[in-house]
Amino acid sequence: MEKLKNPDDLKKYRKSLESKHRPDIVRIFICTTGCRALGADEVCKAFKSEIEKQSLKDKVEIVDTGCQGLCARAPVLTIEPMGIFYGRVTETDVPEIISRTILKGEIIERLCYAEAGKKTPYIRDIPFYGKQKKIVLRNCGMVDPKSINEYILRDGYAAISKALSGMTPDDVVNEIKNSGLRGRGGAGFPTGNKWEFVKKAVGDVKYLVCNGDEGDPGAFMDRAVLEGDPHSVIEGMLVGAYAIGSKKGIVYVRAEYPIAVEHLNIAIQQAKSLGLLGENILGTSFSFDLEIKMGAGAFVCGEETALIASIEGKRGMPRPRPPFPATSGLWGKPTNINNVETFANVPIIILKGSEFYKAIGTDTSKGTKIFALAGNVKNTGLVEVPMGTTLREIVFDIGGGIPGRKKFKAAQMGGPSGGCVPAQHLDLPIDYETVKEVGAIMGSGGLIVMDDSTSMVDIARYFMEFCQEESCGKCVPCRIGTKRMLDILTRITKGQGKKEDIDLLKELAEVTKSASLCGLGQTAANPVLSTIRYYLSEYEELINKKDTQSLPQESPATQP
Amino acid sequence: MKTIHLVIEDKPIIAPEGINIFQASLDNGIYIPGLCYHPKLSQFGGCRLCMVEVTERRTGHRFACAHPVSEGMIVKVNTPKVIRYRKSVMEYLLVHHELSCPICDKAGECSLQDITHELNQSPSRFKAVRMDYPMVRDNPVLELNRNRCILCGRCVSTCKEIEGIAAIDFQNRGIKTVIGTAFDRPLECSFCGGCVAVCPTGAWQDRTLGFKGRSWEFSKVPTICPYCSVGCTIILNTKMESVRRVTSDDYLGINEGNLCIKGRFGHEFIHSPERIKTPLIRKNGELYPTSWDEAIEYVAKRFQQIKNEHGGTAIGGIGSEKCTNEDNYLFQKFCRSVLGTDNIDNMANIKSPALNGLIYESVIHGMTSASLKEIEHANTLFFIGADMTEAHPVAGSMARKAIRLNNANLIIANVRGVQFNSIARNDIRLKYALGSQIILINALIKVIIDEKLVDLEKVETSTNNFDKLRSLIDKFDREEASKITGVTQDAIRNAALLLTKPGNCYIICGKDIEENPLAEDAIRALMNLCALLNPAYRGDAGSGKVSLFFSRSHNNSQGVNDVGVVPGFLPGYVNINDASNKEKIEKSWGVKFPDTILKKDAENVIDLALNSKLKALYIMGENLVVNYPNGKKIKEACKKIDFIVVQDTFLTETAQLADVVLPAATFAEKEGTFTNMGMTVQRINKAVKPVGDAKPDWQIICSLAQKMGHSCSYVSPKEILTEIETISPMYAGINYDRLKRKEFHWASSVSNKNKSTRYTFSMVKPRSSEIRKNKDFPFVLLTGASLNHQGTFSRHSKSLMSVAPECFVEINKKDAQVLQINNGDRVAIESDQNKLTLKAKVTSKLPERVVFVSEDYEWVPVNILRDRVHTSVKIYKETV
Repeated sequence: MEKLKNPDDLKKYRKSLESKHRPDIVRIFICTTGCRALGADEVCKAFKSEIEKQSLKDKVEIVDTGCQGLCARAPVLTIEPMGIFYGRVTETDVPEIISRTILKGEIIERLCYAEAGKKTPYIRDIPFYGKQKKIVLRNCGMVDPKSINEYILRDGYAAISKALSGMTPDDVVNEIKNSGLRGRGGAGFPTGNKWEFVKKAVGDVKYLVCNGDEGDPGAFMDRAVLEGDPHSVIEGMLVGAYAIGSKKGIVYVRAEYPIAVEHLNIAIQQAKSLGLLGENILGTSFSFDLEIKMGAGAFVCGEETALIASIEGKRGMPRPRPPFPATSGLWGKPTNINNVETFANVPIIILKGSEFYKAIGTDTSKGTKIFALAGNVKNTGLVEVPMGTTLREIVFDIGGGIPGRKKFKAAQMGGPSGGCVPAQHLDLPIDYETVKEVGAIMGSGGLIVMDDSTSMVDIARYFMEFCQEESCGKCVPCRIGTKRMLDILTRITKGQGKKEDIDLLKELAEVTKSASLCGLGQTAANPVLSTIRYYLSEYEELINKKDTQSLPQESPATQP
Repeated sequence: MKTIHLVIEDKPIIAPEGINIFQASLDNGIYIPGLCYHPKLSQFGGCRLCMVEVTERRTGHRFACAHPVSEGMIVKVNTPKVIRYRKSVMEYLLVHHELSCPICDKAGECSLQDITHELNQSPSRFKAVRMDYPMVRDNPVLELNRNRCILCGRCVSTCKEIEGIAAIDFQNRGIKTVIGTAFDRPLECSFCGGCVAVCPTGAWQDRTLGFKGRSWEFSKVPTICPYCSVGCTIILNTKMESVRRVTSDDYLGINEGNLCIKGRFGHEFIHSPERIKTPLIRKNGELYPTSWDEAIEYVAKRFQQIKNEHGGTAIGGIGSEKCTNEDNYLFQKFCRSVLGTDNIDNMANIKSPALNGLIYESVIHGMTSASLKEIEHANTLFFIGADMTEAHPVAGSMARKAIRLNNANLIIANVRGVQFNSIARNDIRLKYALGSQIILINALIKVIIDEKLVDLEKVETSTNNFDKLRSLIDKFDREEASKITGVTQDAIRNAALLLTKPGNCYIICGKDIEENPLAEDAIRALMNLCALLNPAYRGDAGSGKVSLFFSRSHNNSQGVNDVGVVPGFLPGYVNINDASNKEKIEKSWGVKFPDTILKKDAENVIDLALNSKLKALYIMGENLVVNYPNGKKIKEACKKIDFIVVQDTFLTETAQLADVVLPAATFAEKEGTFTNMGMTVQRINKAVKPVGDAKPDWQIICSLAQKMGHSCSYVSPKEILTEIETISPMYAGINYDRLKRKEFHWASSVSNKNKSTRYTFSMVKPRSSEIRKNKDFPFVLLTGASLNHQGTFSRHSKSLMSVAPECFVEINKKDAQVLQINNGDRVAIESDQNKLTLKAKVTSKLPERVVFVSEDYEWVPVNILRDRVHTSVKIYKETV
């Protein structure tokens, strides 16, 4: 491919792609990322061979896409332009789909989405999709992530082109500031302000890092974006790099995301060959190079100072701040770290303007948020909703409610750092502040729904165990405080709890929260605190019903 | 530097900007508990005990070690909330700590104990959960008990930042986190023991101590290490007149508590059963114990007799690089004024005869003006021919500090690929061809002049002979230089660019340069380079400093020369042939030197002996037979001497040839001063009584002088040092009592006096030193220092012997392949002089056709192979 030498080149290139695009053809979009685990690859292969066999190459095209959201129905596919959505497709269904649906336009009922016995063949009618607003996931499931052309066709790289041709770095920072975009990694720090700090920091070299070390149990938002639309992240990083004056970017991805790494690598190569990465991007003086650094599976490496240490080849351990990465980060240079989802928001803001973006969401939290819906909910999957959507809408309207005859009990938000939102807060409009008020956190977007058969003490214990195992071991409260809490919780779940345990848990939680070095320790006690707050009776019940006979007599420690 | 005003615990404090609350408190005597913070290490922030209440714009809780001071800040160290948190954190730690205090060597000096006590820790609310890690005891000097470890990370930082080794790191996660080596392999490190020194608990232990005393039983005597010439302060921990271990003090001396393996673990020789405990006299060919009276009387009688029959010059003297300045001063005074001989020398001077003069010249011109400790303020470091890691490890740590804190640039020029681990951003290694050092230095000078990296006009006006240097250098070709040295032109240019950068530039000249036959030329070329690098000619006029350091081998190699155990030079490098100086000394000593003493003799003491001009030899603290660089000759020379007196601590190879052996006290058993390679005079202190009948050298010399009818009634080294001060202006202002608190740097006082001296460039012909090519002996033998051993002392230190029991011959990979030599094979090294068999170590550090044997393994007499600096040898696999 020839390098694009100016913004006009990009426009021309898009035009030429559009002219080649055939609207008359039937396209079958198959998720081959997340659905791969349930046989999507085989389905894909079957389609291809069937098309070959029936010589339908001119009429039907198979598009490997990223996540289409409704993971509960995996493997899923969408047939355009009809807008038919099929789930739980197997290889054996393929000939039938070709012969009946593609060639004859018939609906195969058994593959359709069904709710309360009612089959919904068309994607526009499925409530799971209807309530969502896809900004970040605008391309996810709609394009082949391995093709830069499909991204460019959907206005890809128009944002960086716009920034480079008419905006100063200050303009970009201001646009992001004005949009109200906040860090999607969990803490919700205003992105524009962060960029401004790094932009103002003194340093000959500045780094831009994309944090793709998604580690919360049950969370797969970043994974979906990286797998399904890697170019949107690259473009977001380009805009960020231009704004802060960075020439070097690093995407830190978990090694456990091989598809994300593969797609990202392809995307980087493609962007390079088109001159969208590297020296003198689109013929301007702006240069930016991107490389991938794979993490080795430590949860704590999502913490930015630990992530920096990991990139530097050291053990991923957080360090105290100050100095903040904005002034002294990677290799001691000013470093800007944003989450995958944050970067994926950026192109839209630049392209459509901050006012467009600001119009979505609540007073303090703008835009949309992706949630990974998991647990006791019918439609598990990936959803993107405007900030301010209520938990009820997410769980019941989009998620289809609780399976079986169970009742909704709570939603765990924010993973091991978060907390439980009980049923009485179902109508809470979700944004950074409201979630915090009820004792959970927005987090990176993990949302685990629990029905009334769930033991909340068990949930607290599970997350505590996770934190304990993932503690880097550096600071005492996190290393030992979590272990102490875990031991107490384990004891309680085994029916060996003591009356004073709840106070002790509270005290341990307080110390661990205040005295820990990084976010992992500081938030590790949140699940405990939030379950004690809303489900104290469950704790008491477990403690009271203990069988005193079976208890080993613990001697109180006499040592100091 | 900007200062900050703040209040800690109601005490107003002024602190430099950028430091943290913990350090500011420490500096002002305010105690904040902490287990992981250490002033000499980078911030860690793991123990969480140093929580304090801080009011800046608002009040909150901060961690003192991680929070910088700010203007108007108010800090409260002991609020009830803070104390509650601290107690909780301690409680957590103690749940898992093994609390084996009664059998822990750290008890009594354990920070964990102290803080538990001071917080008045109440009984735990948790059931104790003991860890059950096995003790790691995979080496002779260090042991790790992970059940006592609180994971403060200090050892990890020390190993990485100070030693540059990074042998240990954290492993695992969560509660299972431990300290360990990669893949749990045995500890592979320099065994500096820095981990023991910084460990706040008993996790890391010094195995040389091994239950030989409780910390509170020890008397702690600070003194100077008796090994290399860095001059680290060590603390001798003694109990019942014996040294039980060595510790370090971060705030004493020049070494910030850093030591090397020898300094920390090489103390066992003091109480070695092999120490000489009584005088020995040879009767019927055997050495027999005798009394001091008999021995002294006999020696005095024989010296007198020889003096009467053959004149004083028939007696020679060898001073000691290991003894104190006072011992050596008295030694030369005794030789010159009592025996009437100037045929005295020391091994350092014999090995590099031009060095003393050059060093003194360099000091006069202000080029050797910095003390060793200043290395840590370097902005550029240039090691040429110096193997810092092996020869001067703690100076290497100072260099690493400069690299870590000042981002210092590093240039290492060496024939061998010497190891020096650092994180220097600019780290240039110039591996030059054997013998081409002068070409390399001139090439650097050429780049500086050609590219006008310094203000050449200023150089012209403030020095002499610059035009001549320029025309000499003009003829010199960079390409040719690159070809001869084997260093690329780019590398030379980059090195020159770094050298001329602003800031402090310190050049360390190593033994490879100093002991080379062309030492004088090479050092003069280095001095030319230094003169060009003068900060006055660089962009940063006046703000930086340039200093040239000269490597010395032993603890007092510098001092022995300073106090005049050098032929032709009285203390303070005063030429004995200068009439006024001679008279001054004669007057002060109350003697009249015989005219024969002034007769200038080109031969050194050993040559005199070889030519049968020497009847007696008095050797103090020197194992001549092993250390004389020209091996074969020395035994012959000794055979030709009628009467040999050796005064030493062990029955060395040399002492075994003596007619009388006088037992001397070690450094731990006496007082006095040592001078390090940076010209800093430091005091040593007596920690234990001498073993057996051993006596300090100066006392033995006094007895001899008295027996020979001279008044020599010094009562202490203090008196001797005072005398040295009065006769040598170099020491003006030195004060024995003050040395206890503060070291004395003679180079700065001398260079201050000679500030206005104008430098004259020397015309050094750019040439290579000749390497004799020999078909039968195709290899060149290089020798050098070793980290693990040095001289007689390390040989008698059990632990050092078990860490490094074997001396290897290092050989290049390619050569080894050709000769089919593998690691560990027994290999013969043969010169036309002699043969030696050693185990092979195959390395890529050496150039081809070069083998390397350390000369610090005293029991491996590598010098017997040598007849020159670059001896030709052949090597072959020894077949059984």
